[in-house]
Amino acid sequence: MEKRNNTFYDIWGDNVNLRDLLISIVLSIALTLGGYLLAPGEQPWPLVLGLSGGLLAFIISSIIIKPKRKIITDTEEIE
Amino acid sequence: MDLTIILLMVLASIGGSVLYTIIGIAPGTDETAVLAPITLALILLNVSPYVVLAFFISAIVAKKLTDSIPVAIAGIPGGVMAAPMVEHAMVLKEHGMPDVSIRKMASGSVIGTIVSIPLSLLVASLIMPYASSISKHAGLIFFLGAVFLAFLSANKLLSLLMIVPFALLIQGLRHLYWDIGIVPEGTTVFVSFFLGITIGPIVYKLFELMNKDYREREKIIGEKEISFKNQKSIKGFPNPFTILTKKEVATSALGSSLGTLTFFLTPVGMTIFLGEFLTRHIKDPVQRASRAISTMDGLTNASYISGTLIPLIAIGLPLSPMAIGPASALFNAPPVFTPEHNIHHIMSMGEIVVATLIGATVALILTFYVTIKFSNEICAFVFKWVPHEALIGLFAGLVVMLAFMDAGWANIFGVMLVALVAGFLHRHGVNYGVMFMILYAAPWLIGLI
Repeated sequence: MEKRNNTFYDIWGDNVNLRDLLISIVLSIALTLGGYLLAPGEQPWPLVLGLSGGLLAFIISSIIIKPKRKIITDTEEIE
Repeated sequence: MDLTIILLMVLASIGGSVLYTIIGIAPGTDETAVLAPITLALILLNVSPYVVLAFFISAIVAKKLTDSIPVAIAGIPGGVMAAPMVEHAMVLKEHGMPDVSIRKMASGSVIGTIVSIPLSLLVASLIMPYASSISKHAGLIFFLGAVFLAFLSANKLLSLLMIVPFALLIQGLRHLYWDIGIVPEGTTVFVSFFLGITIGPIVYKLFELMNKDYREREKIIGEKEISFKNQKSIKGFPNPFTILTKKEVATSALGSSLGTLTFFLTPVGMTIFLGEFLTRHIKDPVQRASRAISTMDGLTNASYISGTLIPLIAIGLPLSPMAIGPASALFNAPPVFTPEHNIHHIMSMGEIVVATLIGATVALILTFYVTIKFSNEICAFVFKWVPHEALIGLFAGLVVMLAFMDAGWANIFGVMLVALVAGFLHRHGVNYGVMFMILYAAPWLIGLI
């Protein structure tokens, strides 16, 4: 990650980085909608594949994006 | 109902509890966005209605038990419903008592569940004889609900003024979709508009952030610091009645009863109103906060359960904000369920009660235990590994997909429009509840003009 990524914005109570957020949103929309559209056959398959796509996007995002939280236990810090 | 189906119901309840314990803790997860699509998928997959209902009840009980944990630990609401509790939980956190907060909230939740199930059955049997006249006047009831909640909003004038324009926006889009033929006439686009309102504040903020000057003003340097206090562990199985004081048990039970009786009003609005109202007289800030969070948690749980059960048992039409939002799939999930053929028609009152008890008991035992014992560990895991971006992304993906499912490509932009307006109104002090009530009342209201 590049250095200037230390700038965040508060969206709904937590800090986010706009570039990471964009990646996550695009990925999630692509996989949910992609799963929904490309699913073979009738309902429930589009919905099932769409939800699976969303889950997959969520897992990928969680792996490639680091949470912007600094957890402090009592007085000592753990990263 | 035979043994196999009961076993399946228990298994589904365990699955629901585990899944929604995790989802509940994740910050910012909206109840409708996480409950409705998965329930809908189960129904469309032709899972037995008994199993679906047990799953759904365990899911809401588990989600309501856990969504207050991040509030207590970090002041981040785990869901829309937990937002009213932030202020009070922060008081306890500042006094170094987040662990007390968690136990009080979870215990309040348990009281809410225990109070609301029998009371919901009672209310359902009382209104059953009037079911048909109630459903005839649903539009008027929702409209009066919107007016009532407008008076409880931070910005009363704007809330009242926006009732008709917001209804016009909703009905305008629906009629447009019918006119250009993307939705067959009479099919009401609902779930995606509902989600549009819930993600309104996020969408509005994202649009604001597209402006460079705004970005300069709003930027935050450095990561969000979350202070964690390791809690003492409780030996043995935790007992909610010893965790709460007698007064707290009494107020949460009272709050839960009122929450059950007002099942037709929006749960967030009632939680804010009753939660504040019942604890306003207490002077000591710690005692007040502790009473408020146990009451509010009990109340949200109760209004969720009653909002699902009462319409399901008595009417068969989704006549509560809960039923029309997170639980909507139980009433309408074409082609499997329709308003004329859904769980209300398939299952008897006794069967609904059995499914509810199985779901609630499994969730209470599993989730309450886990919440009290391991809240720190689970929270640390979620905060450390689940980025906020991934959650917002998941949300965006679900909303876009459901918008497309409701009414095709055009509706993705329609929902964006609804979200922008809702986000603007929310920012300027219009209660979510007002907007939800308008959404329900819109067809009736515009029909009058």
